[in-house]
Amino acid sequence: MKRQRTWLYLLFWVVVSFLTLFPIYWLFVISVKPAVELFSTPEVILSSVYWKNYVDVINDETLRGYMMNSLVISTGNAVLVTVLGFLACYALSRFDLGGKESIFFWTITNRMAPPAVFLLPLFLLLTQVYKFGDFTLLDTKIGMILVYCTFNLPFAIWTLRPTIDGIPKELDEAAFVDGASAWTVITEIVLPLARPGLAVTLILTWVFAWNEYLLAATLTNFNARTLTTGLSEYVTTTGTEWGVMAAISMFTLVPALIVFSLVQRHIVAGLTFGAVKG
Amino acid sequence: MAGVNIDDVYKRYGSVQVMHGVSIDIEDGEFVVLVGPSGCGKSTLLRMLAGLEPISDGTIKIGEKVVNEVLPKDRDIAMVFQSYALYPHKTVAQNIGFPLKMAKRPKAEIDEKVGRAAEILDLTKYLDRYPKALSGGQRQRVAMGRAIVRDPKVFLFDEPLSNLDAKLRVSMRMEIKELHQRLKTTIVYVTHDQIEAMTMADKIVVMRDGRVEQIGAPLDLYDNPQNVFVAGFIGSPSMNFVKGRIDGANGTRQFVSEGGLVLPLPAQASVAVGQEVIYGIRPEHISIGEGGVAMDVVVIEPTGSETQVFARSGTDLIDAVVKDRIAARPGEKIGFHIDLSRVHLFDGKTQQRL
Repeated sequence: MKRQRTWLYLLFWVVVSFLTLFPIYWLFVISVKPAVELFSTPEVILSSVYWKNYVDVINDETLRGYMMNSLVISTGNAVLVTVLGFLACYALSRFDLGGKESIFFWTITNRMAPPAVFLLPLFLLLTQVYKFGDFTLLDTKIGMILVYCTFNLPFAIWTLRPTIDGIPKELDEAAFVDGASAWTVITEIVLPLARPGLAVTLILTWVFAWNEYLLAATLTNFNARTLTTGLSEYVTTTGTEWGVMAAISMFTLVPALIVFSLVQRHIVAGLTFGAVKG
Repeated sequence: MAGVNIDDVYKRYGSVQVMHGVSIDIEDGEFVVLVGPSGCGKSTLLRMLAGLEPISDGTIKIGEKVVNEVLPKDRDIAMVFQSYALYPHKTVAQNIGFPLKMAKRPKAEIDEKVGRAAEILDLTKYLDRYPKALSGGQRQRVAMGRAIVRDPKVFLFDEPLSNLDAKLRVSMRMEIKELHQRLKTTIVYVTHDQIEAMTMADKIVVMRDGRVEQIGAPLDLYDNPQNVFVAGFIGSPSMNFVKGRIDGANGTRQFVSEGGLVLPLPAQASVAVGQEVIYGIRPEHISIGEGGVAMDVVVIEPTGSETQVFARSGTDLIDAVVKDRIAARPGEKIGFHIDLSRVHLFDGKTQQRL
């Protein structure tokens, strides 16, 4: 009986894994075929591998620039948002701020509408308001980092709040009595204990910025263009270069996997166990 | 080491006043216990002493220094929290050494002092463990280690034993008292358990509703409670109280309860005939034998070393604790002999001692 259940369990996860991973495999198949073979009879098992799409992508300086832009914008945004979110949550959690629950609620309101709604205001902000002489934030990496902050910071605050609230305030107090300054309490006590929450926030905000297309396509031209928008350049009037697009897509997966594997080990639950008796 | 002086301290949360002019003098090296029921303000007072809670009015001095505006880190105090508040991501050694690290002491000194504290508290084996791998009693000791390692002017304990089981509580009580005798540092200890207060304190401060009801040595409070609240709070089992008035019909003054129970009065009692009083007698100051005040047995609770007898007369219920074993059964008549030198009389209206 128990053995049968194990088999069912295994079968279930095999099916789920297949459904999840097959599109990625299919993407890989497309990326290693020459254009002429793409529209012939589909071939699930590869008989030969054609690496030229990858060579083209690697040799393309423009694409390498896009990749770098994506990395800088996503990482810069994720780090900034996580740091600011952490400090905001510490303040919301520990201090008696007037109307803090309202502040907390209203931070999320800009996630209640589709991002497209904010396109025009953001465009005007970047071109008309944040203007220093001839310099505008449009089509700059710093501009895009700030644009993503408007969406990711509320998200980070909402994700981190339960983590910070879950760290007993008595630990702060004990540290204060032990001679720690406010800054030491944050860095020595609260930060290490908030690590799982910070890791989750970092990953999710990174992925948001890495995958984002609409805002990047509208608010960048060339200098800050990201990999997702770069993809669209392969849809041309003369046809779509599916093989190259698939190879670029495979490349977009790699940094995401690296970031996930680096941060994942920090996501361990129950770290605060043993701090105070429940 | 230093004494503590709390002078006319008030605490308000908005328009709500929760502490009403509390004044307490604590001598250098004294073990003072703040005791009272939940919500009496004892923990708030301790937190104000620690600097974790601002005071609304009055002054708090540690040694000769007024600390009203001084941050907790600069007060040179150590505190043991009810929940222990150990840092879960630090080992026992790191937890104990944390105050020294904050004081930027050299590593060799930290190691040496942590080692010594661990030895005193029997924690040497556990120095590399994390708090989650310790039992409740061991965590409690780590919290104490963190407090003693820095040699503060004053120790503050906030109900440190309330999360331990009864047996461990008794042994930790002894350890804390022994520690005080060894270190001779001023201790301010908060508890709601009057037994802890009685057994540990040099001086007890009984609090209620943000006011000090009485300050005194444990046996002084036990023998001479200033009001009904202190009389009822100190001592276990609690003092018997019977409401009534003084009657002088037969030429001798005696106490008659609202339910008609007649109780003898000490000869020197300064009460007038007709005066409304509350008659107080501790269960251990009643003996059982022939004659005396006739009562009906309600329940008998033998604990082995002593027997508690609950008896009723009309609507008045009185309990007595005696060393002898009692053969009486519920419903039978029994004679209560009251030790007149131990009778406490309180004013029926003000509830203050007469």
